[in-house]
Amino acid sequence: MLEIKDLHATVGGKEILKGITLSIKAGEIHAVMGPNGAGKSTLSYVLAGRDGYEVTSGEVLYKGENLLDLSPDERAAKGIFLAFQYPVEIPGVPSATFLKTAYNAQRKARGEPEVDAMEFLKLIREKTKELGIKDDMLKRAVNVGFSGGEKKRNEVLQMSLLEPDMMLLDETDSGLDIDALKIAADGVNRLRSPERAALVITHYQRLLDYIVPDFVHVLADGKIVKSGDKSLALELEEKGYAALSAA
Amino acid sequence: MKNLTPLAQTYLDRFDTARESLPGHDNPAVVALRESGLARFASLDFPGRKVEEWRFTNLSPLTKGIETTEAPANAALPAAEFETPHIMTFVNGHFSANESRLDKLPDGVKLSSVAAELDAGNSALLGSDAEDKRAVVALNTAFMEDGFVLMVEDGVSVTEPILIRFLSLLGTGTNAHHMRNVIRLGQNSAITLVEEHAGIDGHAYFANPMTNITLAADAKLNHYKYQAESNTAFHLANTDTELAAGAVYENFALTTGARLARNELESRITGSGAVSILNGAYLIRGQQHADTTTITRHLVPENESRQVYKGILDGEAQGVFQGKIQIVPDAQQVNGDQLSRSLLLSDRASVSVKPELEIHADDVKCSHGASSGELDEDALFYLQSRGIDEKSARKMLIDAFLADVLEEISNDGVREYFAKVTARWMDKV
Ligand SMILES: Nc1ncnc2c1ncn2[C@@H]1O[C@H](COP(=O)(O)OP(=O)(O)OP(=O)(O)O)[C@@H](O)[C@H]1O
Ligand SMILES: [Mg+2]
Repeated sequence: MLEIKDLHATVGGKEILKGITLSIKAGEIHAVMGPNGAGKSTLSYVLAGRDGYEVTSGEVLYKGENLLDLSPDERAAKGIFLAFQYPVEIPGVPSATFLKTAYNAQRKARGEPEVDAMEFLKLIREKTKELGIKDDMLKRAVNVGFSGGEKKRNEVLQMSLLEPDMMLLDETDSGLDIDALKIAADGVNRLRSPERAALVITHYQRLLDYIVPDFVHVLADGKIVKSGDKSLALELEEKGYAALSAA
Repeated sequence: MKNLTPLAQTYLDRFDTARESLPGHDNPAVVALRESGLARFASLDFPGRKVEEWRFTNLSPLTKGIETTEAPANAALPAAEFETPHIMTFVNGHFSANESRLDKLPDGVKLSSVAAELDAGNSALLGSDAEDKRAVVALNTAFMEDGFVLMVEDGVSVTEPILIRFLSLLGTGTNAHHMRNVIRLGQNSAITLVEEHAGIDGHAYFANPMTNITLAADAKLNHYKYQAESNTAFHLANTDTELAAGAVYENFALTTGARLARNELESRITGSGAVSILNGAYLIRGQQHADTTTITRHLVPENESRQVYKGILDGEAQGVFQGKIQIVPDAQQVNGDQLSRSLLLSDRASVSVKPELEIHADDVKCSHGASSGELDEDALFYLQSRGIDEKSARKMLIDAFLADVLEEISNDGVREYFAKVTARWMDKV
């Protein structure tokens, strides 16, 4: 589904990704862990197509297509979704308007009929209920004044609504309380299917108890330095990254 | 005598012939008023940039003399887009009865043309501007050719807005229009007025409207202005408003037109409980220059003023906001708030802001804020990452920037109309 081959990328002229190779097949969940500043978010931004993140070499194939040629919105319409580590506040744009615009934009791009306000309201009510999100949040401007945890829940809400094929979660667990963590994980698990895949960036093994990964990778200094199964996460929790690089 | 600017000199040279065809030319009081206006204008001239109030707005493209440009020939009268039963239209500086519809106005409301009033010798209703220091106001007094007079009796309110249109088309008239308007609202009366200034792009002219507003106790005026002059026009407008106790003045100016525009508003609050609200939005691009200058004078205790101006600037456009709040000694318990924000869509666009608080009372609450910035790149990417294309995402953010100031428009129809106008402007971003 996602083939990352020897990916190098710079931000502000500085090389951050230094040759990442990673293959994610449909149906798989990959966890990425690693020290602060290793380049995890950078990887997620490059995959989502953020301006200023320049790929200097390597390639990324998504469903066989060159992902790096696509604009961020085209990638989204084709099923890529990034749950941001730091969701952005957008004053003046009501959440409901934002969600409906995004939902219909993706449908339109895929040649599917757009939904009307009534239909959309029904759909979004279903999702907010599943995720225990209060409806009044929809009236507020996107992420403005939301608590850290509320912002993260909002990311999961958007993901549940847009039903992406390739979920990129950048520390979605950070800032969530224990109950919210379970609810968010349920949200991800509900989307799990043989046709979909996820790349889950996290610092904590705890999330991986709920979203059980098929593979765990350690990203350090712009490279994947170790890969394994879910037991690697437990090992890291116990010993830390220092032990890893010493080994 | 010092050298006048070329345009000022042509006004002085032309006065003697022009006066013969101006309204009220055989009325001694009107003649005296015009002559005193001309004398003041001659001693003032158009302000240069050394004049503090005009530091940011350079009038020399106007004062060196307007070149008459060839405008497209299809100068048809643009139809009124805003729907209301009451419409008064001025074409090339003259009242056009054909294009007006005033028969539905209720009793207690009188709407007439200044030309008719001056011809009838009613110059007293213009008041005296003998002490006025503004050159363009003096020029207006000397050359005023028409405008509207709106008188509303005590206790009368009109629910449907009155639309006043000033259209500048290529035609036989001169390329300058000095419109003089008077609004007097009686006690406890209420009116909504929509002013529209429009011209055909490519037509170069100078519009110099002066409006005098008096609100008696508890009167309420919603005064909306849409300035969509030709992209080669100059528009220098002055609006003076006096508020008695309990009066509420709500002004909203939407500016998209003119090559160079200045919208100058002066509110004089002379009663307790009065509220002066001056809001606006300007959307300019290319080489447009839009200046908003406000003066709010709190002359007695216990009243309130609020201002919010938002600008969106593209290309090499220049915006100016100068806002002065004056609170005289002993005008206690006054609130004065002022905010100016601008969004720069291009790195060649610029804004100059000069807030000025002149506060001589201690028990008052005043605030002013100013900011200018570009579109938030993080927000843009966030929207795009959810599937919204770049153009739509930009539009959403620009919309959001304007939304709260448009919200301030209390008349639903006008708010929708202005939202439509701004959406059209944004489609071209
Ligand atoms: N605009 C920039 N210019 C220069 N360096 C940058 C820029 N943006 C990010 N970096 C650097 O890139 C490196 C990788 O950042 P990134 O956010 O990808 O780390 P991360 O692995 O997600 O860390 P964390 O676990 O703290 O979220 C950091 O050293 C960061 O300072
Ligand atoms: Mg990160």
